[in-house]
Amino acid sequence: MTTFLQQLINGISIGSVYALMAVGYSLVYSIMNFSNFAHGGVIMIGAYLGFFALAIWQLPFPIAFFIAAVGSGILAIVLERIAYNPLRKRNAPFLYFIISAMGASIFLENIVIATIGPNFKTYPQVFQKTPYEIGALAIGRLDVVMFIISAVSLLILLIIIEKTKVGMAIKATAYNFKASSLMGVNTDYIIFIVFGLGGALAGIAGILFGMKYTVYPQIGVITIKAFIAAVFGGLGSLSGAVIGAISLGIIETMTAGYISSQLRDLIAFALLIFILVVRPMGIMGKMNEDKA
Amino acid sequence: MSWYYIEGILILSGINLVAVLGLSLLTGFTGLFSFGHAGFMAIGAYAAAFATMKLGMNFYVALLFGGLMAGIIGYVLGKLTLNLKGDYFIIATLGFGEAMRLILDNIQYFGGARGWPGIANYTNLTNVVIINVIGIIILVNIINSKHGRNMKAIREEEMASNIIGIDVFKYKLKSLMISAVYAGISGGLLAHYIGFLQPKMFQLIKSTELTIIVIFGGLGSVTGSVVGAIVLTALPEVLRNVKEWRLVLYGATVVFIMITRPQGLMGGKEFRVIHIIKRIVSKLKAPLNKEVS
Amino acid sequence: MKRRISLLLVLIMILSMLSGCASGTAGGEAPAEVVKIGWIGSLTGDQAVWGTCEFNTVQMLVDEANDNGGWLGKQIELVGYDTKGDSLEAVNAVKRLVGQDKVVAIVGPNASGQAIAISQVLEESGVPDIATVATNPKVTIDENGNTKPYNFRVCFIDPYQGAVAAGYAFEELGFTKAAILYDVADEYSQGLTQFFEETFVELGGEIVAKEAFKFGDVDFRPQLSKIKETNPEIIFMPYFFKEVALSSTQARELGMDAVLMGGDGWTSEQLLEMAGSSVEGSYVVNHLDFEDPDVQEFKNAYTEKYGSAVELNGYLAYDAFKLLEEAVLKAGEADSKLIAKALESAEVQGITGYIRINKDTHNPEGKEAAILKIVDNKYKFQMKYSVDVE
Repeated sequence: MTTFLQQLINGISIGSVYALMAVGYSLVYSIMNFSNFAHGGVIMIGAYLGFFALAIWQLPFPIAFFIAAVGSGILAIVLERIAYNPLRKRNAPFLYFIISAMGASIFLENIVIATIGPNFKTYPQVFQKTPYEIGALAIGRLDVVMFIISAVSLLILLIIIEKTKVGMAIKATAYNFKASSLMGVNTDYIIFIVFGLGGALAGIAGILFGMKYTVYPQIGVITIKAFIAAVFGGLGSLSGAVIGAISLGIIETMTAGYISSQLRDLIAFALLIFILVVRPMGIMGKMNEDKA
Repeated sequence: MSWYYIEGILILSGINLVAVLGLSLLTGFTGLFSFGHAGFMAIGAYAAAFATMKLGMNFYVALLFGGLMAGIIGYVLGKLTLNLKGDYFIIATLGFGEAMRLILDNIQYFGGARGWPGIANYTNLTNVVIINVIGIIILVNIINSKHGRNMKAIREEEMASNIIGIDVFKYKLKSLMISAVYAGISGGLLAHYIGFLQPKMFQLIKSTELTIIVIFGGLGSVTGSVVGAIVLTALPEVLRNVKEWRLVLYGATVVFIMITRPQGLMGGKEFRVIHIIKRIVSKLKAPLNKEVS
Repeated sequence: MKRRISLLLVLIMILSMLSGCASGTAGGEAPAEVVKIGWIGSLTGDQAVWGTCEFNTVQMLVDEANDNGGWLGKQIELVGYDTKGDSLEAVNAVKRLVGQDKVVAIVGPNASGQAIAISQVLEESGVPDIATVATNPKVTIDENGNTKPYNFRVCFIDPYQGAVAAGYAFEELGFTKAAILYDVADEYSQGLTQFFEETFVELGGEIVAKEAFKFGDVDFRPQLSKIKETNPEIIFMPYFFKEVALSSTQARELGMDAVLMGGDGWTSEQLLEMAGSSVEGSYVVNHLDFEDPDVQEFKNAYTEKYGSAVELNGYLAYDAFKLLEEAVLKAGEADSKLIAKALESAEVQGITGYIRINKDTHNPEGKEAAILKIVDNKYKFQMKYSVDVE
């Protein structure tokens, strides 16, 4: 029983890392309708920004946090301008966006290797490593902090989307891009905002990831899991992304704990395909009718 | 420049091209996008190597065997996932590719993650070229047949195709299976070219590289795929001297091509000699006209 | 217009390829004054940390040798290519080295998969290769048990390292219950796991848990929680230091106090920095004692030149280079076949021990492993330890 509870805690903790990554990705998807595969690259840059701020410039954590979020937000906007905007202007099919994103992610990963170097970087210790202990259970301090920061960030995002005018415009644009633009929504501005927000979330995910684990150029690899989580929950749905991420974390953990750690990902992928067969739009996804 | 080295690049371009041809049918002509074709290559590679090394089969029969195995798995995967739309299908194929690699990592009979050395080297430039020519002829025939036209219809307007009575699912499945067979054969060639197999060789990046080649060459153009396979296999080699900056340039080039010429090199057109002559003639005329005006 | 730009791009690519060809032949025409050697390994990709260190080391040694007059009165020229850690890339890189650059010998690569994949090319071209940390037995021996004529290495092999770890844990430390956490997607990790398990069980120990993760994972708590249930005395962690740092920290977080043990993938200053107290008291099987006075000169020179600490691969690249130097001088001529011949019986005092290549296996003979223990956040040498592996 203790082990089971411990595994549940492990699963939720892993899932909440996926969640922050998945939400930023799902947010961009909801507007642009394509998988922004450069999201992992932005997360990685965010993690490096956080590292430089904390370890090299010796800034306090809140400022470092801010730098990572804003820096990544700017990077995401710049990426959109360079790699996607020209395609959008041309109404290119979504395949081109994905390839452009792929190219951008190869570029980002390797420019870090070429300039900063391939070595891993360790964050200075911001929060104590000793875990909270409840009976035989261990809950990492950082896990709790991360969970809170993630929850607050997501809450702020939700407030922006639900309660502000910009948020309403985002929702409208996500619902129907063309109609909103005809109704006077400045879609260029909306895309700008969405990439900014998505990038900021990526930056936050990056600095938290870096604090918990470490920073290295291939962080992007882990975002594959976040993509899967987002699909799991239903693309374009923010609450779906969170639910998908937490479930994926728990499924992975339980598989490793009770079935086979050698075949963990295999079982996770099989389950993913199974869920998609049963519910082709994920758990929370909206059924998009083809607008022929 | 040393022929030995160039030959190696050409063989590798050719091996890539076989997989790209299949993917071109799937992505370029049917409009489906896969991130799991490295998985099909892996199946073909291990199956073909198994056939030649353990069963003592003839190399060419083994290649077909590898292709067939990949096709069968493609059929199963397609049955399960082809109803999914857009990115959902992509993620499903991505999961498939990664799962394939994980399975091979665990099969100690084939050496697991440590790899399988000592596979006979049967692949050479001659048979790679011949297989490619055969592959292109078959592909062009498929594209120009009723099947190919239906696939293109699905690419353009899936719903409309459905309404006019095209069995969308069936043609998508056919397209996926054929592309899996091509990828499988490509994997078999690869196995017998370097004589060593390791699940690590079939990572996600391999799948994306193949897709990048298809799009780089131009969706819906077979000649584009040929040019794309050769150029993009050679590009990293050309850039070899810049060492760690190599992939930076590669990534930048991909983005640059996408934003300047998103329809790819050939842009859905085929390379035909007559077209070229016509164009040269008209180009020659153009400056004359200008001078006159 | 756009079309023209992209066509222009392609044209530039083709031209640069041709020009590469031109400069290649130009370089090939005047080789009389230089000895060209090659290096391959990962400068990008997952293993770039180790590859970069290797390349830096070899470059430094080449410069040093050139300052002292080079080899056989000729200057040495080093040509290094990146392999991304990919076997196919390695094959291309070696084809380029032997075909176009016409090197007489190659140092590297830093992984077994690549070293095995290039064997065929080496054989076709008759150029010898000295692998640095390719520890799979099949790097130098083919499927039928024959020695590959042009593959050599300076490191000990997986069976040896696994057996040393198991032997030391069982016989010297007296542990009988061991757990293993390994990377299922990594060749090195699977190799060590297999041989550790075999030896440990043979000696009479018990493997109480054997759990896996997949390369790219950063969270190991699910596996560790499961291992914790089985109460092992020692956990064997045969993988690289980034994962070691993460998994050891997470193990301590979960309240596990078993002794940790690892192979040569552990030994880096970065591990100590990243893992801190989590790896305190752990044992590591290594190639050398870092505190050995003979090692200091190289260690300091490297840090001075590149501003970072030497990774383990640097030491083995050093030995590979010294072995090659010995062979070239012994061959008396910069001819690849003669060098290969000379390598078969080459002996040199390396930094990781005395290296004597065995003619039948092309492995260094009788190299002892050094057992290190992490004490006060430093690698403390315990003893030289060796086992007999057939």
